[in-house]
Amino acid sequence: MLVTWAYRVRKSLMGSFDPRARWIFSFAFLISATQFWDARFLVVLFVLAFLWYFSARVPFKETRRAWTFVWFLLLIMIVVNTILTGGGAGGVVPEGGHVVWPNGIPIPLTAWHFHFGLTYERLWFALCQILRIGGISAVFVIIPFSMDPRSYGVTFRGLGFPDKFAYSMELAFRYVPTIARDFGVTVDAQRARGYEVEGSGGGIFKQILRTAPLIVPVTMNSILTGEDVANAMDLRCFGRGPRTWLYKLEYHWQDYLLIAFSILLLLASLAIVYGLKLGDFWVPEFLIRMIS
Amino acid sequence: MQNKSLWKFGTREVVYSAIGAALYAVLGIATNFLQLPSAGNVSFRPAVAIPMFFGIAFGPVVGFIAGFLGNIIADLVSGYGFWVWWDLGNGLMGLVAGLMAFSFVGFKTQGTLLKAELFVILGVVVGMGVASLSEMWVSGADINTVIFGNFIPAAVANLVNGLILVPILMIAYDAVVSRSGK
Repeated sequence: MLVTWAYRVRKSLMGSFDPRARWIFSFAFLISATQFWDARFLVVLFVLAFLWYFSARVPFKETRRAWTFVWFLLLIMIVVNTILTGGGAGGVVPEGGHVVWPNGIPIPLTAWHFHFGLTYERLWFALCQILRIGGISAVFVIIPFSMDPRSYGVTFRGLGFPDKFAYSMELAFRYVPTIARDFGVTVDAQRARGYEVEGSGGGIFKQILRTAPLIVPVTMNSILTGEDVANAMDLRCFGRGPRTWLYKLEYHWQDYLLIAFSILLLLASLAIVYGLKLGDFWVPEFLIRMIS
Repeated sequence: MQNKSLWKFGTREVVYSAIGAALYAVLGIATNFLQLPSAGNVSFRPAVAIPMFFGIAFGPVVGFIAGFLGNIIADLVSGYGFWVWWDLGNGLMGLVAGLMAFSFVGFKTQGTLLKAELFVILGVVVGMGVASLSEMWVSGADINTVIFGNFIPAAVANLVNGLILVPILMIAYDAVVSRSGK
């Protein structure tokens, strides 16, 4: 049995747009957002992303799980890669900067100081990461909740992909919830046999080997299912000629508006970054003055 | 098996590309929280073995789509957005590993497994090399950051995962092939 994405039909502004126009907007937004590390531009894009997100009228309780996951990842990314090690800020935040604890953090009951190289610039970069990744997430997280999975194939075909590739993409999107369910069932079944998913110890090699009882059954089961699906498609003469799609997409005036806005957004972003040479990582003057 | 074209993209390949991509996405999402410390937002994904295995089992086109599309879906669902060069790098891992497809008879002979390990190494180096170098253009990172912050953590993590899990998947698939006679 196939299970589907958490999509429900609902009347909304986002739902009134053609899926192709929505993908064009999403990618135009993505390319625009990835041009900037300047918080002033990122705030504008962040607001735009959430206006778009709320136009889908999807209740928070439906997306709560996805958001918990996004914020958890973001938190790890920021805490580990930006605040603790600075690796994630490499190439964007200039070397040096204003250290938060120039004399180190005193360790209680000792005369020692823990020297932690966290800078105000890295903290500001963490804020920029929240704005940038939060905005991108808002635009993309909402897709599975607001776009009919039956329209994926015809949408990608309509965007210019070849028939077979478009169908492969549609199948992949449709398979994700099914495989996610199979994965959950496998985890439960292995746990019932005494398998510890979060088992500790044994080093990195043991940890990887520990994933094999989950990865192998799910993979082999999917391959066997795939054989049946391929046979069924062959019986229906898949790929013998140009494919027709059950759902037909048509652009309306609001789609042309959205596409025009997307192109404008993209061109404006590129003009700001490459024409005006703005948009690089920037720390506000008042923050520097406050620190000094 | 040897008579098949390496670059064929028929019904089976369409289906296995989709399954490979969905598997990579689901298993990738399940382990995306394992961030590599001090690396530029690179996560530790045992699931990277999937595109490489699908490349070896079903050909380079399937390996490429499984890696490329699987990474796109995993990143979209995880909220990472769309990083086309890293998607391409993941696709290349599957494609290069898949270049050995159909040049062997059994999946669990010692020679085949050794060859697979060699192609896994090649795939990871090429795929992660392309993806990491793209950071110089995308993020404006310098070569040191690219090598030490992106390439080495990503390549080492993917190599360890691929070298361990790909042979396990090949041996398991050999049993499936022998039983189903396909």
